Amino acid sequence: MKQILKILVFLVPFCIFAFFYTYLSKDNSYPGADYRVFEIPSFALTELYTETELSNEDLSGNFLINVWASWCITCRVEHGFLEKLSNNGIRIVGLNYKDERSDAIDWLKKYRDPYELVIHDFNGSLALDMGVTGAPETFLISNGKVIAHYRGEVNQMIWEDVFIRVIKDSEIIL
Amino acid sequence: MIKIALSFLFIFSTNLYSEAYYEFDDIENEARFYNLIKEIRCPKCTSGSLASSNAPVSEDLKKAISQMIADGKSDTEIKNYISDRFGKDTLYDTPVEPNTYVLWYSPFIFLILCLIVFFIRERAK
Amino acid sequence: MLVDLSHFLSVLSTTLFLLTSTLVLVLDCNKKHSSILIKRAFSHAFILLFFSFAIYVYLAATDDFSVVYISQHSNSMLPTFYKVTSIWSAHEGSMFLWILFLSAWGFVFNLNKDSNLKIKNFAIGIVSIIIVGFQLFLLITSNPFETNLPFSPANGADINPVLQDPALAIHPPFLYLGYVGFVIPFAYGLAFLLNGNAGINWEKVVRSWSVSAWIFLTIGICLGSWWAYYELGWGGYWFWDPVENVALMPWLAATAFVHSLSVASKSKSLRIWTLLLSIIVFSLSLFGAFIVRSGIIDSIHSFANDPQRGMYLLVFIGIILFSSLWLFTSRFDLLTSKTKIKSFSKESFISLNNIFFGVLIFATMMGITYPLIYELAYDQKISVGAPFYNAIYAPVTVLASIILIISIESKWGRSFKKIQKFNQLNLSLALSLVAAISLYFYANNGSVIIYISAFVGFLLLIRYLILLVFNTFQKKHINISSMLAHMGLGMLILSVSANSIFSSERVFNMYPNDIKTYRNISISFDDLQLINNSNHDSIRAVFKVVDSNGKSSLLYPEKRKYFVRGQITSETAIKATPLKDIYITIGDQLDNKSWVVNVQLNYFIRYVWLSAIMMALSGLIIVISSYRSKS
Repeated sequence: MKQILKILVFLVPFCIFAFFYTYLSKDNSYPGADYRVFEIPSFALTELYTETELSNEDLSGNFLINVWASWCITCRVEHGFLEKLSNNGIRIVGLNYKDERSDAIDWLKKYRDPYELVIHDFNGSLALDMGVTGAPETFLISNGKVIAHYRGEVNQMIWEDVFIRVIKDSEIIL
Repeated sequence: MIKIALSFLFIFSTNLYSEAYYEFDDIENEARFYNLIKEIRCPKCTSGSLASSNAPVSEDLKKAISQMIADGKSDTEIKNYISDRFGKDTLYDTPVEPNTYVLWYSPFIFLILCLIVFFIRERAK
Repeated sequence: MLVDLSHFLSVLSTTLFLLTSTLVLVLDCNKKHSSILIKRAFSHAFILLFFSFAIYVYLAATDDFSVVYISQHSNSMLPTFYKVTSIWSAHEGSMFLWILFLSAWGFVFNLNKDSNLKIKNFAIGIVSIIIVGFQLFLLITSNPFETNLPFSPANGADINPVLQDPALAIHPPFLYLGYVGFVIPFAYGLAFLLNGNAGINWEKVVRSWSVSAWIFLTIGICLGSWWAYYELGWGGYWFWDPVENVALMPWLAATAFVHSLSVASKSKSLRIWTLLLSIIVFSLSLFGAFIVRSGIIDSIHSFANDPQRGMYLLVFIGIILFSSLWLFTSRFDLLTSKTKIKSFSKESFISLNNIFFGVLIFATMMGITYPLIYELAYDQKISVGAPFYNAIYAPVTVLASIILIISIESKWGRSFKKIQKFNQLNLSLALSLVAAISLYFYANNGSVIIYISAFVGFLLLIRYLILLVFNTFQKKHINISSMLAHMGLGMLILSVSANSIFSSERVFNMYPNDIKTYRNISISFDDLQLINNSNHDSIRAVFKVVDSNGKSSLLYPEKRKYFVRGQITSETAIKATPLKDIYITIGDQLDNKSWVVNVQLNYFIRYVWLSAIMMALSGLIIVISSYRSKS
């Protein structure tokens, strides 16, 4: 009995310590990255400029969806990188989140438009359906499915470590 | 007598619910709502439930939940809707599944083991 | 520069504490003159640290923004009180306070006369080494004395407005006094082991120190819960947040510890448990510090920190823990008692009680670490919250309370075969059953387990009341502190259950001058005012609330915007009545100019904190009566 107690008295704290040591030493890759795969939810919204109706059927192929808004300060910071991606031929669909149409259009005029098209999600309904918690967020889409989702500003480092990795692994061409 | 009182409450309360910000058609659904928002984690906050958060996404989720309750969805369906989109960690009510058996059952196993040891030693006296 | 003086004094005190522990190692601790030397070294080290902290307080109060920490956490627009309390609003400053309190406990304990010079000196030596470890941690990794020089910002960043609150300002000091107070029984217990004389009743020496620390911890946790209730706006008083849990674990261990202490100080049994618990309590306090400061756990409470600091703390705590455990196992035989505990004696019930506390601590630790384990194992995040903790705490507390009721008539040192006071117990059971069943039919809301808990709560309160009445009439001895504490437990169980059963809330859409009715209470939106303050603007609503008994009162919930950070907060307005709190917060103004108004009715919530006060008082009775019996 005493022997068991003596062993336990060391073993239990040791396990706890070893666990925390391991956990602390672990390399915490990006907490904003989410690699769950799911279908783009069905939606019925309008295009930002033309106000024509849009739905899932209008989106095809491989592209990015970028959630942005004119009130979002970080989006301005991210914008330069998005332009660079767009200039390199990467298709980006904008999801304008909880924004007045006129504010959004003015913003794009002022900072230039990197988007192939922009979905105007005034109520944030599509955004909510996709698990968006704010702006900016970026989704990687392939064949109607989300294969990567990043919450936060995308820059060169995150593009490489999060998105390029998934692009390579799934062998898609953007 | 009780029936009359209850129906009075029902009539009286239907009036109230339509003026409330979240609309429910009975007390049970309203109670379900408040229980749900306490058990669902705010996806944007460091920690805290939807009930304790006024972040925009929390407000949107609360509206969505009240809508889903009105649409007749069950608690499980609502929780699945949210965890599918925002991650399993949005559920403070940790699901009881093979991966979490250790969590849910180990305290009871520990209790039983300790009690067994205790009573064996008592017997030995 | 004053900050450099403060820094210097801290460094000097570190060397003096190091000197103290060296003296303990090299001198013959039995001798009186060694004792005087050690005592002096420790006292001087403490005084230096005290002045270092005092200067730091002065710097904060006088807006010295050349100090990085003060510029990050204080602002000239803050009232002076909050300038001072901002010192412990983040990691470096709160660590400084922690160390001050650690040495303060040692200082006061040191002043105590103890016939066992050797053990006392060893204990002081151990406390000194622990202080040195923390001071090195502070000075090397978390230096509060860093300056912005040659630049000095004109003003500081404002602290989070949510932290500008009297209850929140004193919650950490109480909590820390509690946590670090357990260094005394820890160090003294280890000193006892080192000394090697089984005849010494170390448990009796540390008893009032341990109970005092327990009182501080109880009040600290109670303050945190009360603050969260009125400040955070959602009406909850306990969230099972990881950081709340790491404060709860030492409290559970400490409660088990003081129970074991009462056994071990009277009879010579349960010594193994008692010493082990003294190690566990202090280790859990340190573990709490580690969790909060390592950045490992997601919580609004946690200080933003890096894993490197976490690693230092982890290793430091590991050294303290494993060396004390090694000492414990190697001197095991010192603790084994010749006499076996009789079955169904009070001692045996208390040792059974230790199992229940152990299970709760185990479950809480499991709940805190499981999300981390899961993440490591499955690369996915999960949350563990109230449903899990309620599922464990409710049945275990009910079971422990039933055992407690049975144990009331147990005796020290002998078993009881038959429950003597059959009448009293029967009467209590009957009354409690009636109360619980009436509650069920009245409320008709909630699961069965809640009513079982309510029954147990009633039982604890009623059983002890009946015991009080009978014993007073029969002029029998009453253990007041035990009675008060256990009634406090009953009050806690009952009020938590009743709160869960009866409370409700609703969110309304209201225009100014609207009147709504909720559960026989009328709420009218009387006025909306705009108020300017020194560091914030506020929109203040005036609500007239008329209760079901006709009493009316005015409530003033606010929405505030703070200038420096632009943060918007919601201030709750509460009307406390004997049975319930009427709790109102205002949300956003909608496009149609109406306001979102949240009305909550929180029943019996004040009794939750009353129960903590009852427990704290019971501890105070023990401390005072033991002080009286000494002098």
